[in-house]
Amino acid sequence: MRIYCRLLGAHLRALLEYEADFWILAAATVLMQVVNIVFLAALFAKVPSLNGWTFWAVVMMFGAVALAEGVGSLFFEGMWRLAWQINMGELDYFLVRPYPVVLQSSSALIGINGLSNIVVGGAMIGAAIAHSEIAWSPWRVAVGVLLLISAIVIKLSINLATNSVSFWLSSPSPIFAFAVHQVGDLARFPLSIYPAALKAGLGIVLPFAFVSFFPVAYLLDEGSNRWIGLLTPLVAVYCAAVALTVFKRGLRRYESAGN
Amino acid sequence: MGAYTAQARGVALGILEYRVNVLLGIVATLMQLVALLAVWQVLLADSPVQGFTWPQMQAYLLVTFACGALVSTNSDFRMAFRIQSGLVALDLVKPVDYQRSRFAEALGGLWLEVVLILIVVTSAAALLGGLTVPAGPALALFAISMLLVVPLKFLIVYVGTLACFWTQSYMGVQWARIAVMSLLSGALIPLAYLPGWLGTIAQWSPFAGLTSTPALIYIGRVGFGDGMMLVAVELGWVIVLWFGARLLWRAAVRQLTVNGG
Amino acid sequence: MPPIVEARDLTKVFRRPEKDPGLAGSLKHLVRRRFTDKVAVDHIDLSIEAGEAVAYVGPNGAGKSTTVKLLSGILVPTTGEVRIDGLHPQHDRTAIAHRIGVLFGQRTQLWWDLPVRESFAVLRDIYGLDAATYRKRLARFDEVLDLGEILPTLGRKLSLGQRMRADLAAAMLHGPRVVYLDEPTIGLDLQVKDKVREFFRTLRDEGTTVMLTSHDLADIEGFCRRLVIIDEGRIIFDGDLGAVKDQYARERILHVETEQPVPVEAVRLALPGAVITEGETPNQISVRFDRFVLTAGHAVTALAGLATLVDFRVDEPSIEDVIRRVYSGEILFDAKSA
Repeated sequence: MRIYCRLLGAHLRALLEYEADFWILAAATVLMQVVNIVFLAALFAKVPSLNGWTFWAVVMMFGAVALAEGVGSLFFEGMWRLAWQINMGELDYFLVRPYPVVLQSSSALIGINGLSNIVVGGAMIGAAIAHSEIAWSPWRVAVGVLLLISAIVIKLSINLATNSVSFWLSSPSPIFAFAVHQVGDLARFPLSIYPAALKAGLGIVLPFAFVSFFPVAYLLDEGSNRWIGLLTPLVAVYCAAVALTVFKRGLRRYESAGN
Repeated sequence: MGAYTAQARGVALGILEYRVNVLLGIVATLMQLVALLAVWQVLLADSPVQGFTWPQMQAYLLVTFACGALVSTNSDFRMAFRIQSGLVALDLVKPVDYQRSRFAEALGGLWLEVVLILIVVTSAAALLGGLTVPAGPALALFAISMLLVVPLKFLIVYVGTLACFWTQSYMGVQWARIAVMSLLSGALIPLAYLPGWLGTIAQWSPFAGLTSTPALIYIGRVGFGDGMMLVAVELGWVIVLWFGARLLWRAAVRQLTVNGG
Repeated sequence: MPPIVEARDLTKVFRRPEKDPGLAGSLKHLVRRRFTDKVAVDHIDLSIEAGEAVAYVGPNGAGKSTTVKLLSGILVPTTGEVRIDGLHPQHDRTAIAHRIGVLFGQRTQLWWDLPVRESFAVLRDIYGLDAATYRKRLARFDEVLDLGEILPTLGRKLSLGQRMRADLAAAMLHGPRVVYLDEPTIGLDLQVKDKVREFFRTLRDEGTTVMLTSHDLADIEGFCRRLVIIDEGRIIFDGDLGAVKDQYARERILHVETEQPVPVEAVRLALPGAVITEGETPNQISVRFDRFVLTAGHAVTALAGLATLVDFRVDEPSIEDVIRRVYSGEILFDAKSA
């Protein structure tokens, strides 16, 4: 943990060298989320609910995705560099150091835009909670925190697994992972609006629905199958295990560069 | 014009090398199409909202997709890289106009985008059970408007990319541009849904021409007269931006020479 | 004592997709996948004792770097196995990482956006070094490698020579028992090379096991006692460096300058078995001979009887010449060990 912060911190300093860029990135990220909120507000100004989901429920789903993405960018942006690291042989030195390769890889970059995504995403979740009528109990708070952490783990695991595919593909850019990431944006809306095939895709194949929809549905006590939200921690464990396995298997195939 | 035709040809032939990137650029737009189709299908199932019916909204979203996929080959990244690394100095000594060259490149990538758009739109129309095509005059106006999307989008992206002369990071500029574009163009939600003042700003902004104008003409939400007016605004912005970009470019080059590259 | 590095039957095969250029080629590849196998390392056996300094040489693409990557656990072998200090590189990665140091001359492990000092500090934390040891090592490296002006410099702003010195220190910071140095002097100027070579000697003298691959055989001479030559993935020689020189660098060349022109035929008669070449002027002559057949002293005496000598010089071939002759196929080792 301490070493991870150290590795990340190494990049933070360099990043702050260009202060103007830092603010532009931060502002741009906030702007993107503001646009999302304006969109939702404009939409719900004309309709009372979306398939039974209120404005605040959908805001909470958007917020959960933003928050998970923000954690990914701020702390694990290096995953997006894995394809490059594989192709350029950058893993060579990672492999001879006494620290997990996956963590050296994921700490190789810092996405400062993650900070504003965390703040805005957190604010969206917070506002949504304030507008909901959740009967809070210590148990519910604990479950809420657990679901949130699990949601983040799921998002990170999908990132890791899809980026690890680069061990098998020869492209130096994370094309596959990026495409999957785009698919993940679908999960910002309630899963119930989609046709069955998409529901299965987002619920089972690439379980993005567990990043936002299912945990939110459980917390707000809305929707028909709210108990599924309680599975989120299990899905998180499963996703993390799969992602790490894919990474490990990939690492065995690693061929370095220059051969 | 030989030089520009050659550049366009070069991109047109070479673009297959980057086909995966082109496809990816379109994946994001495609996912938005899928999400919004699902959202509106639910919302408009029983009754129209704000005057939009479900078939209208389908057509609106398909036009949105087409507009989003046009001029999306990410040549702006290359341009941003050349500016930030100082390689742009090499472009300056070439005996061709920089802006026209970039435009020629954007045109070169167009054919692949059009092919992809046709594939997506026809398969979507088939899935959704057909698509109504507007009558003659409206169709002509729509075609003109779509044609104008190409230079308009190119110019907005180009002007945004010129910001790299002043900032180190292109990502931030690009994200901000995408955010503003998606809201004010009507790509995220028709401008009629925005609060009055914001809708008015958007309508007169250069962004409306990127999506709202062709989409509204296609679905017949605006009559022929109003449509003409919207297209005139779109054309006006193309002209203003074309020359405005030249001014900005001149200032940018001055900046470059002052900083010594 | 068991060897510190042991490789048995080590083989690495790289699979390369065979793809025609263009879109059609890619599509075809998706349908019918064809691969070519390239055997980079071919059934190598190698064991290195603690404290040995081994030179690992071979022409480009012979499999040197691949061997180093296999021995350090970066690559997983196709067949065979590696043991470092009895440990398995993939299973005991962390334990092995503390024991080995690796330097790839072509690539840096420094953080490009950090000052070198900070890169070192990050490594210190990764390896869990205590402050006193860290300071002591850094001071010692500074003596030989002259790190003073390098430490505050950003990784990306280092010159090649500075970078290599910093990278050497980085590879040795945790006090590894075995170091693999892959082309550690590539592209350096002579002055820096000397510094780096001096550093090697201090390593060896401290008892570190060193495996060195290099194109510049001057790195090896006077440093490594053992020579391993690899060609097309196979070890074609493994033995004592001095013995190689004795056996394959027996030739000496005597260059002589005389007062009056030398009668070449007379010299040939006087020195049978030697090859006589006329020099640029009639007053110069070169005599090539096997030092086990003829001594330099004997040759000089014989020549002095034929003409008055003004000057003479004896050239010894370097190990470089020997190895060049190995690559070109002039020397064939019949046994694996000389």
